[in-house]
Amino acid sequence: MMNIKRLAVFSKSVRFEKRLLTARHAKIRELEVQRRSFKTQSRTLAYAKDLFLGQINKTEVFPYPEIGNEELEEINQLVAPVEKFFNEEVDSAKIDHEAKIPAETLNGLKELGLFGIMIPEEFGGLGLSNTMYARLAEIISLDGSIAVTLAAHQAIGLKGILIAGSEAQKQKYLPKLASGEHIAAFCLTEPGSGSDAASIQTRATLSEDRKHFLLNGTKIWISNGGFADIMTVFARTEVTVDGVKKDKISAFIVERAFGGITSGKPEDKLGIRGSNTCEVSFDNAPVPVENVLGEIGGGFKIAMNILNSGRFSMGSSSAGMIKKLIELTSEYAATRKQFNKSLSEFGMIQEKFAVMALNAFVMESMAYLTAGMMDRPGLADSSVEAAMVKVFSSEGGWICVSEALQVLGGLGYTKNYPYERYVRDCRILPIFEGTNEILRMYIALTGMQYAGKVLTAQIKEMKKGNIGLALGMMGKKLKSSFGVSVDLGLIGKDGVVHPSLAESAKKLEQNVSLFGSTVESLLYRFGKTIVDEQLILKRVADLVINLYAMTAVLSRASRSISIGLRNHDYEVLLANTFCAEAFFKNNYKMTQLQKHSPENNDANMKKIAKALLENRAYICSHPLERTY
Amino acid sequence: MTCPRCLLQLQTLGLLGRSAARCVGLLRTPSSGQPSEPQVLRHFHPSPGSAKSRSVPAEFDRESHKKRNKSLITHDDLFEQVAQEAKTKAMFNKVVDIFTKRDIRRRGHVEFIYAALRKMPEFGVERDLTVYNKLLDVFPKEVFVPRNFIQRMFNHYPRQQECAVQLLEQMENYGIMPNMTTKVLLVQIFGEKSHPMRKYQRIMYWFPKFKHINPFPIPQKLPEDPVDLARFCLNRIANDLDAKVTVYQMACTEVTESGEEVTLPYIVGIQSPSQMELLTKHNPSRPVFVEGPFPLWLRKKCVYYYILRADPPLPNEKVEEPYDPERCLDYPLQLDFDLGRDLGDDESFDVEDLDEGPVFAICMTNQGDEATLNQWISGLQQSNPVLGQVPTLFRLDAGPQELDMLADIKSCHNHRPESELLKEDWLPEEEPEVMGDEELRRSQRMK
Repeated sequence: MMNIKRLAVFSKSVRFEKRLLTARHAKIRELEVQRRSFKTQSRTLAYAKDLFLGQINKTEVFPYPEIGNEELEEINQLVAPVEKFFNEEVDSAKIDHEAKIPAETLNGLKELGLFGIMIPEEFGGLGLSNTMYARLAEIISLDGSIAVTLAAHQAIGLKGILIAGSEAQKQKYLPKLASGEHIAAFCLTEPGSGSDAASIQTRATLSEDRKHFLLNGTKIWISNGGFADIMTVFARTEVTVDGVKKDKISAFIVERAFGGITSGKPEDKLGIRGSNTCEVSFDNAPVPVENVLGEIGGGFKIAMNILNSGRFSMGSSSAGMIKKLIELTSEYAATRKQFNKSLSEFGMIQEKFAVMALNAFVMESMAYLTAGMMDRPGLADSSVEAAMVKVFSSEGGWICVSEALQVLGGLGYTKNYPYERYVRDCRILPIFEGTNEILRMYIALTGMQYAGKVLTAQIKEMKKGNIGLALGMMGKKLKSSFGVSVDLGLIGKDGVVHPSLAESAKKLEQNVSLFGSTVESLLYRFGKTIVDEQLILKRVADLVINLYAMTAVLSRASRSISIGLRNHDYEVLLANTFCAEAFFKNNYKMTQLQKHSPENNDANMKKIAKALLENRAYICSHPLERTY
Repeated sequence: MTCPRCLLQLQTLGLLGRSAARCVGLLRTPSSGQPSEPQVLRHFHPSPGSAKSRSVPAEFDRESHKKRNKSLITHDDLFEQVAQEAKTKAMFNKVVDIFTKRDIRRRGHVEFIYAALRKMPEFGVERDLTVYNKLLDVFPKEVFVPRNFIQRMFNHYPRQQECAVQLLEQMENYGIMPNMTTKVLLVQIFGEKSHPMRKYQRIMYWFPKFKHINPFPIPQKLPEDPVDLARFCLNRIANDLDAKVTVYQMACTEVTESGEEVTLPYIVGIQSPSQMELLTKHNPSRPVFVEGPFPLWLRKKCVYYYILRADPPLPNEKVEEPYDPERCLDYPLQLDFDLGRDLGDDESFDVEDLDEGPVFAICMTNQGDEATLNQWISGLQQSNPVLGQVPTLFRLDAGPQELDMLADIKSCHNHRPESELLKEDWLPEEEPEVMGDEELRRSQRMK
């Protein structure tokens, strides 16, 4: 199935197709009308889906995506001034302290074109691909507040216009948004609605002259909500489907100039304090009918696509931040002396740096692999991969930032150093753009849905008692338990992994194959009721994230060796280390997923939580309590 | 072995009629003057558990002097004489003091303790640990401690031991936990391995284990104010942290224009947000019922409550919300393939569900007539506007009033037998006393 978002990406990366653009758009819209409901499998999933079947779709991820020399030059030319700007002009401490990004900084960002990174050149943007966007995000992330402000503007705020806007809407809004004259915001969350679209209360009612929609309701936690000029707002509208009146979500482009819009007081936050987050209320705000994004009642898909497409850049952002932190802390570790030894000679400090390097390496690998997949012409859906990048990098980022602070000890805890700010800023990562819990559900369930479709017939056959099939399964299991190595074609004759990474590739293959049978047995055991087994799904998601990370590092390191990048031996070391560690973690998790596994404490954990949730308090007696 | 005891007996016989203080003095002189006797006469130790001040009013003293002349005095008399004045802890203590002071030999202490145990509830000291310790202190010390293996093997001073066990048993029945003083007294009186000591150890083993066994404890003292009590009861019935108690009307007396005095009953109700939601979903064409009164027992107190409920929805009325694929913005809420849970992983029990119909709210009032309950419903209507459209039927049983009266009359006539009283409170401090409706009625009728 065609998809507007893919097409947008497609159009950006493949410039020469610009002429076809308008024609395509029209066609897409036709297709979209036919498609009533969103289904996760409506587009072909890219890579992760095959992992759930115990297969590696190596054409998707090998070789590691590259950009052309021209593009590389272009991006390097872009990166240099941005880097300079962030190092010299941006005073992060001041932004954090005053909870405001100064106007001159914003102007500097506008001049650099950072407000229109992904807007096509014809509309005055930089027209960069996802890969190049990821590269810029590495630098932008040096200041959390600016990164969030820019992301709210273009990763979600104006994305709706990019992927679902009509030509007229694009012409009207994109140029000013690209220049930064107008700033965009994305208004979806409401006091009573996070992921639950059914509880969205904001309502758009058609005025009597049928020329306007009147918007009423309140949206909360709107990044840039205080000063955004253009907002993508989602609201309930009445639609007639098959003669029955129904409420459906629609998306609107709302200008602040339309009137009836008030912004609340900016929220005082733990981190990213310079970014503006506030409540936005609509009181009979008139929105012209031509400002409806896509179809009336088609807002759900638009929201979902916007959310799914914005996540991949967090990997490179986190990696950029960690790389910066490594520079800062290694300086300290090398100069600080204790017992006539510098800190860098202590094993426990060294370990922290190794953790940081590993995390940065894996995040980078995953982020650019995913960005490359998204840039590839074609309509594959890599939203699962993007979600995996987001989960991995937000959690890895948190660990690294806190380890970096730990290297400095008490100094890191003071406001004299930027580490505490990084820790605070970093804490938002697992929360926004879909909390990691929800993304884990998305990752696991999307994969399960795919595997379920493929395996249903086979499992049903097995349940009926097809002995041949059962024996075949048994044989497969026996074979793997006797240590017969699995060959999924990563190495060997048609191998894609460099021989110096052969061992790690074997580990990945073994893990993937075991994961396939784990998924199968989970489907056998739980069927579609697996939706309710959140702890199992969490493990499944963690597993598949690890598998994807392993793939990414193997692919990247293989390429590095093959083309002889500087320090590629170090990359091999990192890749092997990460794979070895992930291998054991995966094996443990898969053991936990077995039936009646003693490693699995889920039932107890649930009981523990249930008891205290019933009482809404910690219910143990105090240790000093007596009964006689 | 028995010779010092004989000697003691002789001496006390000879000294009969003299004051106790002099008696002790006299007792001591011969014993100290006879160094040749191998066994030193033991005197009575005052124990740590004894009360500090022993100021006995003169009249009691006189009275007791008179009584002492009659040898076969029942100790119940002593209590009953005192009881005519006032039945308080102080009086009870005085009686015990009189007994201990009257006779250094503490003659008849077993009978005295039995009598005292019987009289404790009457004096309202049946839950007072210090009083039990004081009673234990009546036993002479060290006399009953076995001193050789034969004594230890057999039941040494069985009557005294039984008496002490009886005392501990009564403590147990009232849920009173012995303390260190009790232990010290028992060791002083009967020694380390006596029956009362064993009883003590058993109590100390079980009581702490049972102390918090009731997850819904009732405080020993219930709130006095009926509104507070209703609040407590409603929270107890609803057992929902979200539920909100509303006082719809406070009890008060008003004088109408015609000069009549009108007493308004209190109305206290409870409702949780989920109950409100259920009520809004209720089909307004089907009636809701106000039913009651239902009894709720809190220890020895019975209160009544009323409920607002509806019949379970008809099978065709139940609408299951269809799955909306556009519900969740982030992940599919349902998977789209045809594969159920495997039997081996289905851990749910086969439970036959009987739909009882929803309860929308509960209330308590001291006047269960229709007018009062109607007031409650109209109070509820403010937060549940649906009630304005739904027909409300009152299905009230005969109110609790006559039952109450009946119970009052009967309880005046006869106290509950001791055994029943004791059995009721076998748990330390709290115990569940919520019985079934039928059971309660029956037990009341029995009285």
